[in-house]
Amino acid sequence: MAVVETYAGYGPIQAQRFSPYADNGGSIVAIAGEDFAVIGSDTRLTVGYAINTREQNKLFRLSDKTVLGSCGCWCDVLTLTRVLNARMMMYNHEHQKVMGTQAVAQLLSTMLYYKRFFPYYVSNILAGLDENGKGAVYHYDPVGHYERNYYYAGGASSALLQPFLDNQVGLKNMENVTKEIISLEKAVAVVKDAFISAAEREIHTGDAIMINIIDKNGIREEKFALRKD
Amino acid sequence: MSIMEYNGGCVLAMMGKDCVGIATDLRFGVQGMTVAYNYEKVFDVGPQLYIGLPGLATDTETVLQRLKLRVNLYELKEGRKLQPAVLTSMVANMLYERRFGPYFVEPVIAGWDSKKNKPYLSTMDLIGCITETDEFALAGTCSEQMYGMSEALWQPDLNADELFESISQAMMNAFDRDAVSGMGAIVHIIEKDKVTTRKIKTRMD
Amino acid sequence: MASERYSFSLTTFSPSGKLVQIEYALAAVASGAPSVGIKAANGVVLATENKHKSILYEEHSVNKVEMITNHIGMVYSGMGPDNRLLVKRARKMAQQYKLMYNEPIPTAQLVQRIAMVMQEYTQSGGVRPFGVSLLIAGWDNDRPYLFQCDPSGAYFAWKATAMGKNFINGKTFLEKRYSEDLELDDAVHTAILTLKESFEGQITADNIEVGICDANGFKRLDPATVKDYLANIP
Repeated sequence: MAVVETYAGYGPIQAQRFSPYADNGGSIVAIAGEDFAVIGSDTRLTVGYAINTREQNKLFRLSDKTVLGSCGCWCDVLTLTRVLNARMMMYNHEHQKVMGTQAVAQLLSTMLYYKRFFPYYVSNILAGLDENGKGAVYHYDPVGHYERNYYYAGGASSALLQPFLDNQVGLKNMENVTKEIISLEKAVAVVKDAFISAAEREIHTGDAIMINIIDKNGIREEKFALRKD
Repeated sequence: MSIMEYNGGCVLAMMGKDCVGIATDLRFGVQGMTVAYNYEKVFDVGPQLYIGLPGLATDTETVLQRLKLRVNLYELKEGRKLQPAVLTSMVANMLYERRFGPYFVEPVIAGWDSKKNKPYLSTMDLIGCITETDEFALAGTCSEQMYGMSEALWQPDLNADELFESISQAMMNAFDRDAVSGMGAIVHIIEKDKVTTRKIKTRMD
Repeated sequence: MASERYSFSLTTFSPSGKLVQIEYALAAVASGAPSVGIKAANGVVLATENKHKSILYEEHSVNKVEMITNHIGMVYSGMGPDNRLLVKRARKMAQQYKLMYNEPIPTAQLVQRIAMVMQEYTQSGGVRPFGVSLLIAGWDNDRPYLFQCDPSGAYFAWKATAMGKNFINGKTFLEKRYSEDLELDDAVHTAILTLKESFEGQITADNIEVGICDANGFKRLDPATVKDYLANIP
C-alpha cells in the first residue's frame, strides 16, 4: 500500500485501496442424466463472516431447457446474468428461435473471455438439455475456459463436494459396480446429501438449497432446508 | 506456497464401534515433483497406538524421532505402556515448546485405550491445540476434500469392515482431487486385541 | 575419632565405605518426632506426633502432614524446614507431570522423583543431605501405596512402618498388630496406638496429626475426627 503522508509521532498513514471484488460464497452442484439435468445451489449470501441473506437463489433460468448456476462475487453474477439474458434475447429476435444449451454454453465462454484482463469473479455451472434432449452440464473458470461434464461442483464448497460426486456419481474407486447412467431420484438425493455434508463444515454454505430439475416437460423447482448456523 | 504443502500428503482417521482406523497416503514429493510413492506418514508408537504426522516431511521425521525418545523414556521410567490420551498430551506439549518456531506437522492420534477399554481418537494443530473426537479426524493437503467425504461417509457405530470401507473411500476420492497427495494408501484398523493393516492400490497420477 | 576425618566432605567415603554425613542425617531422623504409616485394604494412614513445648503455642496452625496432590500425601520425621522444601518440590513435580501427560502422577513416580532430589543433595557441592525421612501415601491404579524415602535417596515400599524416635519399638509393635485385610478405620486406630507406645504424656487431638488416603483422595483429619478415634483408645 502506498504511503501518503507522515505525521510526526503517528507513523505512516496508508491509503485504503479500492478492491473491486468481493467473495460472497455460495456453492453449486449439477448432475446430468440420460434425459434430464439436475442443478442445485445453496441460498446463503455472505461477506466474510456476515450473512447478508439466507434466501438468495443462485440459479438463473435462461430458457425452458437451460439453467445457469452462478456464484462468487455477487455483483459480477448480477451483471453477467443480466448481459447474458440480453444477449439471449437479441439472439431470439435475430434468429426467431430460443438459444440451445450448447449455444448458451459457448456464448457464456465468449462473454467471460471478453473480460480476460478484468474478469467476472464468478463460478459458473450451466445445466440443461442438449439438442438431442440429453442431459448436459458445463462448468467454467472465471475467464471462460469451459468443459462439458456429467457432474460438477463449483463455488465455496467445491473442494468438499467434488470428490463426493466423483465417488457417488462417477463411481470412482468402486469395484464390482455396473457403470450405468444415474437415475433422477438418485441424482436429486446425491445433490441433497452433498450439500448436507458441505454445510456441516463450510460456513459460507448453508440455510437451504434450491434444486432445479430440467427435463422435456420443462423445469421443476424444489427447496430443501440445510442447517442455518 | 505454504510450507505445510511443500511435500504434500494426508492422514485420515475415523472412529467405529469398538474400533478405530487411521490411514495415510504414500506420496512424498517436492512441490509438483513426485519423489517417492512408499512414504508412510502413520507410525506405530506402541501396541494398538498410531500417530499420523502429515506436513513438512523433515518435521514429520524429526517429531517422530523426538517423540520416540520421550516415549521410550516414559516407558522405562514408569514401567508401563503409553495410553493414547497420554501420547496426545505428550505430543501437544512437545509442539507447544516450539510455539514461536513450530514443527510443521498436524498430528492425528488413534489407538486403543486399554484403561477405559474403548477406542481413542484425537488430533491437534501444529502448535498442539488438542481436539478429542469420537467421529473422525484428519489433516493434510486435501483436508477440505476429506471433510466433504467424511461428513458424507462417516456414521456412528460402523463395524471394523464398514469402517475400513468408509476410511478407504473417503481417503481415495479425496486425494484423487489433490495433486500432491495419493499414490496409494495404507489403512490400519485398530480393534481391542488386533490391528489389521491393508495396503490400497489407487490411481498413480 | 577416625571417622571425623571423613565427616566434613559430603562426597568422601570413609575407609569402611560409608558416607558419614548421611549416617548423621539418619541420626537426625532417628531423633526426630515419630511418625507411622499403615496400608489398609481400602486406603493408607499417616500419623505423627506434633508436640509443643509451650502451652502458649497455637495448635493446628503449622502442619506436618501435607497434601501433595489430590491423591498423594506426605509426612516426615526429622527437621521441619528441610521437609518444607521437599513438600514444595514434590508439589511442583506432581503438577509438572500433570501438565505433561494430563494424568495424575502415579505415587511410585513421585517417590522416585523425590528420591532423586534427595540423592542429589548427597552428591552436590555446597549442600548437605536432608535431615528428614518421608512417608508418602498415595492412591492410584485402584490401590493404596505407602513409601518411605530416606536422606540417602533410598526408598522402600511398606505395608506398615514407623520412623523417628523409638522407631524400632514402633515397627515391632506393627509387626505384631498388622494384618493384610485391615480396614482403613482400623488402620487409623492402629497407627494411633503405635504412636501411643512411645508417647510421653497424654496423647490428644492437639498433639498428633493424622492423614488418610483412599479412593476419594488424600486428606488430613481434623482434630474433631482425631478426637473420635482417641475416644476408642483406652
